[in-house]
Amino acid sequence: MYRSEPSLTFFSAVVKNVASASLEVKKLVYIYLVHHAEAEPDLALLSINAIQKSLTDSNPQVRVMALRTMSGIRVPVISQIVSLAIKRGCGDMSPHVRKAAALAIPKCYRLDPNTLPQLTGYLSTLLGDSQYFVVGPAVAAFLDLCPDELDLIHKPYRSLVKKLADMDEWGQLATLRLLTFYARKCFPRRTQKVKPSAPVAFYDDEKNEQESQDTGEEYEVQVTDPDLELLLRACKPLLQSRNSAVIVSVVRCYLYLASPDYIAEAVGPLVALMRTPQDMQHIALFNIVAVAMRIPKPFAKYTAHFLVHANDPPHIWRLKLEVLTILFPHCGKHWKGVIISELEHFSKGTDPELVRESVRAIGRCAQGDTSTADMCLRILLGQISSLDGNLVSESLTVIRHLIQQDPTSHKSTVLQLVKNLGTTTHPDARATIIWLIGEFAGVEPENNIAPDVLRILIKGFADETEIVKQQIVLLGAKVYLHHLLQNPPKEKPEAPAPTETAEKPTKEYPNEWADNADEGQENADQSTKENEGELEQPEAKEEETEDRITLLWRYILLLARYDTSYDLRDRARLYKNLLETPSSVQLANLLLLAPKPVPHAPSPSETRKDLLIGSATLVVGPEAGYLGLPGYSNLPDWVVPGQEPNPSLRIDETKPDISSTTTTSTAGDRLDRALLNGYAESQSQQRLDRCRSRWKEDTGPVASGRRGRGGH
Amino acid sequence: MSAIEAVYIFDEHNNLLLSHTYTGRPSPPSVLLPLYLQHAAPRSSVLYFPALNPSTVLYSIIQDNLLFFSPSSGTDTGEPLLVLEFLHRVADALEEFLGSPLLASKIAGNYDVVAQILAEIADAGVVCQGEANALRDVVETGPGVLNNLLGKVGLPGNASVPGLSGGGGGSLGIGGSGGLQRPGSGISSLQPAQTAQGSAIPWRRSNVRHTSNELYVDIVETLSVTLAPSGRPLAAFAYGSIAFTSKVSGVPDLLLSLSTGGKGAGMGHRGDQLRSVMERTVFHPCVRLARWKSEGVLSFVPPDGRFALCGYEVELLGADTPLTAGKNAYSSLGLPAGVEVTTGLGTSGNDFEVRLTQPTNAGGAGSAAAASLQSNLGGGGGLGSRPSSFRAGAAGSGDSKGPSLENLVVRVPLPTAVRNVTELRPSKGEAHWSPVDGCVEWKVAAKDFGPMGAVLRCTIQGPLAADSDDAGAVMNGLTATTYDYNDDEPSAYQASEKTEKHSNGVSVPVSREAKVAKSRELMPTSSTLSFGVKGWLASGLKVESLLLDNKKSRGLGQEVKPYKGVKYLTVSREGIEVRC
Repeated sequence: MYRSEPSLTFFSAVVKNVASASLEVKKLVYIYLVHHAEAEPDLALLSINAIQKSLTDSNPQVRVMALRTMSGIRVPVISQIVSLAIKRGCGDMSPHVRKAAALAIPKCYRLDPNTLPQLTGYLSTLLGDSQYFVVGPAVAAFLDLCPDELDLIHKPYRSLVKKLADMDEWGQLATLRLLTFYARKCFPRRTQKVKPSAPVAFYDDEKNEQESQDTGEEYEVQVTDPDLELLLRACKPLLQSRNSAVIVSVVRCYLYLASPDYIAEAVGPLVALMRTPQDMQHIALFNIVAVAMRIPKPFAKYTAHFLVHANDPPHIWRLKLEVLTILFPHCGKHWKGVIISELEHFSKGTDPELVRESVRAIGRCAQGDTSTADMCLRILLGQISSLDGNLVSESLTVIRHLIQQDPTSHKSTVLQLVKNLGTTTHPDARATIIWLIGEFAGVEPENNIAPDVLRILIKGFADETEIVKQQIVLLGAKVYLHHLLQNPPKEKPEAPAPTETAEKPTKEYPNEWADNADEGQENADQSTKENEGELEQPEAKEEETEDRITLLWRYILLLARYDTSYDLRDRARLYKNLLETPSSVQLANLLLLAPKPVPHAPSPSETRKDLLIGSATLVVGPEAGYLGLPGYSNLPDWVVPGQEPNPSLRIDETKPDISSTTTTSTAGDRLDRALLNGYAESQSQQRLDRCRSRWKEDTGPVASGRRGRGGH
Repeated sequence: MSAIEAVYIFDEHNNLLLSHTYTGRPSPPSVLLPLYLQHAAPRSSVLYFPALNPSTVLYSIIQDNLLFFSPSSGTDTGEPLLVLEFLHRVADALEEFLGSPLLASKIAGNYDVVAQILAEIADAGVVCQGEANALRDVVETGPGVLNNLLGKVGLPGNASVPGLSGGGGGSLGIGGSGGLQRPGSGISSLQPAQTAQGSAIPWRRSNVRHTSNELYVDIVETLSVTLAPSGRPLAAFAYGSIAFTSKVSGVPDLLLSLSTGGKGAGMGHRGDQLRSVMERTVFHPCVRLARWKSEGVLSFVPPDGRFALCGYEVELLGADTPLTAGKNAYSSLGLPAGVEVTTGLGTSGNDFEVRLTQPTNAGGAGSAAAASLQSNLGGGGGLGSRPSSFRAGAAGSGDSKGPSLENLVVRVPLPTAVRNVTELRPSKGEAHWSPVDGCVEWKVAAKDFGPMGAVLRCTIQGPLAADSDDAGAVMNGLTATTYDYNDDEPSAYQASEKTEKHSNGVSVPVSREAKVAKSRELMPTSSTLSFGVKGWLASGLKVESLLLDNKKSRGLGQEVKPYKGVKYLTVSREGIEVRC
């Protein structure tokens, strides 16, 4: 069966043993039965009788197994029988059977959704059960069955919260999930947070006044519903759980429900998840990133935990780098230095991916904290002379972003970049530098380096790669345009030539070709001469600049015209036509000198910011589509004040004296109590067992179960 | 609520070993495996396959070379950590029943046990019993259960089910004895409790009986230390866990007191001191949190057998040290060994040197801890150290009471561009270059490793193209800038370079610069150190006493004094990382 080999042929032979007296054999037969019943519904039905008999066995373990197996048989016909069995199980006095009943409820629902009303009834009984390990599965069943019928939860709410610490981890998970949703829907938020990430602006006074009407106190600062407070306090011991999922659940609870004081307490345990095995560490990091993006402050002291190790796989270090950059603005001076030098170290590494990410991370650090931007920029500038082309081009991209964010203060940076142009060989890097020069061509027109750079670049035009050539042409166009804008276009002797604009380039095409070819030829000669002249007397340029720039421009066009690349030739022609006539110069101005939007390099997980932490959708991210993975639902908004259910609904009639101090009782305390009266209990249990079997004969097991439990 | 839909287990050759469907109609393992393998090697534990119908999220873990899958495709794809925790628990439970390490043959040979475990651990996808110990109560491991069934079905023994017979034979062959097939059966009282109500304590199986009563505390700390090129520690943690082994009849109630060994003094009473050392603790559910909070002692009723009692974290750098600690990082942290890497040596800069050093005072601190440990054990009332724990590694140091260093391994990962490591010259131990992993591994036997330390020198070869490129690189006029960027090199590198230059003479400074710059890309950027130290804890924690509360315990005779053992171990699994 487990090897996916056919084992169906033995079905009838195996199922015959369902009535076997031996417990061990029964177990295996049950497993087999559940696995294959669907394929052989008729034969499986034959076994139902024997199982039903086991339901009334005196051994609770047998009853548990029978109930579990019966509900597990996926034959819809038996749904009513299963429902009855669950009903009986709910009243069983052995908590293990009641637990099995709780577990059977979702299975029964899947068999036949029409049983929902009955099942909901059973559920409400089980949710109020006094045994903590019955409640856990009951909550799980509730979430499966009818997660929106929160009315069922009001009554057992306080007992659920109380039992939270005692449940097993899986019950805690289900309960935390349920109660987090419940709290959002049932406790109106009386304290208005303006933004979760800005804890300083915590209270909105207007709202407070409005809402404090029902409590009647005008100066109340923070009103957390006492029942919510109960939940939050009950969660605290769970932070020392060994189960990482529980910790993330508590963090989720605190993050979405509580004030920042609580979340600060939960950060430590969350960070402690970094020592779990790598697979879980990965998921934990996703959650840490999500939380840190909202509330970075409390993480700052744990920065050391996020240093990248050399043997981290890519998906881990990627997230670690992100955490580091998020925490960066909130760290102390010492750690800022450490982070930067760490990033610098990795940017000199050999893994191209890691190099790229760490350079980007430096960029994000600079963005996040402007006071260190200079330091980051210095590091990046130091790297552009590296031999590693990958590093150089990535650094330059980041530098470009930084410069664009604050262009006015970076004139000297551009100058420095220009100095590097001579040594940088990486095409992307060169292209980036040239583009930047073009962007800065307009500032300080009387003392700009752009024309000069252009002149030098043109000399080596033929040896450049295409991407660099494009940028050179663009730079030329920009320089020329600035030149045109500063000087009245009348001065240009070339202007009269063709008055056509880009509207009819096809017509004019052949003409232009011949025309300009000659012209270009001349200009080429001229410009080379001019260049030489300029080299000799670089200072005396003021008067002649106009001509020179025009000449330069013509020379570029000529070079581009005879280039092998279509693209380059087309671009050159476009610029040429644009700049040829005064009428289109304005258009060119719009095209070429349009203010560029400031690039913003967000944290890679920015898109996941609003996803519910702890969910699979958070891990999968945008790939999961707009609505997230199937079944994903974000937390509901806080309930509107005044529409919340009456808090008196939560008053538990049976136990009215619930004090919040009892919530911290742990499994250990409970155990103490259990140990003290352990013998007595077991004896009474046996006695009850005996009674029960006597009752069974006359009143039927259901009634007996109920009375038995009452006595217990 | 997220449900576990199925568990698939594959062996190391990616053959399906087991598939257990809990609920729904999950994608079969034959579909999922190829999709999983499509992803590149370090695979994420959560993968999303939107192309499948229904689209599936696949959770996977790898334990003991076995691959565990759990697909999730239903209406709710759930919480990843829940599923991963569940898979880990499944692996733990299998290990508990079948013995560690988990082998494919063991699973194949014990399908009946495995089936029961999987059926009990979750019901229709709702995880309901995560405690391996409690499973002992409900899983039948007695011999012949399956044969009993097969006999009744009318099948001749195990001959007719090929998978079972083959698997059973395999497990016997590997284990060499019949004991492996039922690893649990050797211990007394493994028959599941037939009691009506199960155990009163969810994590402890009922009716535990042992002929010899034993208690062992193993404290293991795993180091994670990052050192800057200057030798300054950037971060230093020890991740500790207390593994407890309890083989005591009845329901014992234990009290474990730890002491910090002087750290955190002046922090108020003992509990506060302890908590200042053991940070971010997590506990097994059996620990009474209230007593930990109030008194700083661990009071608990243990599960039977071995379990992780507690996990904690120790910050080895004090709050103030990061700024002040100088070069003597190893001694300030008390590490037993240190590594330094110097790159860019040799005439063309393609040599590097790894120096393994022994700080002077580490041994002293360690043996002090061990000595006090001895005295404490004596005072603890019947506590005795397990003889094997200290002697096993004692061959190296010669002193059976002092802590002993073992398994000293230095790994130096090299860039992928490195074509070959032509020369490996260790002064001690043996080193080899593995092209597949791209790293140099250097093992030093503990007995060779004295106070003088050891040195490994390697010469590396870059790609073929790089060598011939040299001339061209110089032609491009690199001279001006290479000097610039040398400024931010670590000082050691610079110093060595200058001396080299002098010895070389000044005739070819340019080409040397270029070569060094070239080979700088081939130099390692970090190295890691692994070792194990028995009898020493980086945090300095000690077991002060382990008491059995006779009043609260049940089922254990008054006169019975369990044998108690304590073991300390500090390991670094590539945990000490030196940047260079």
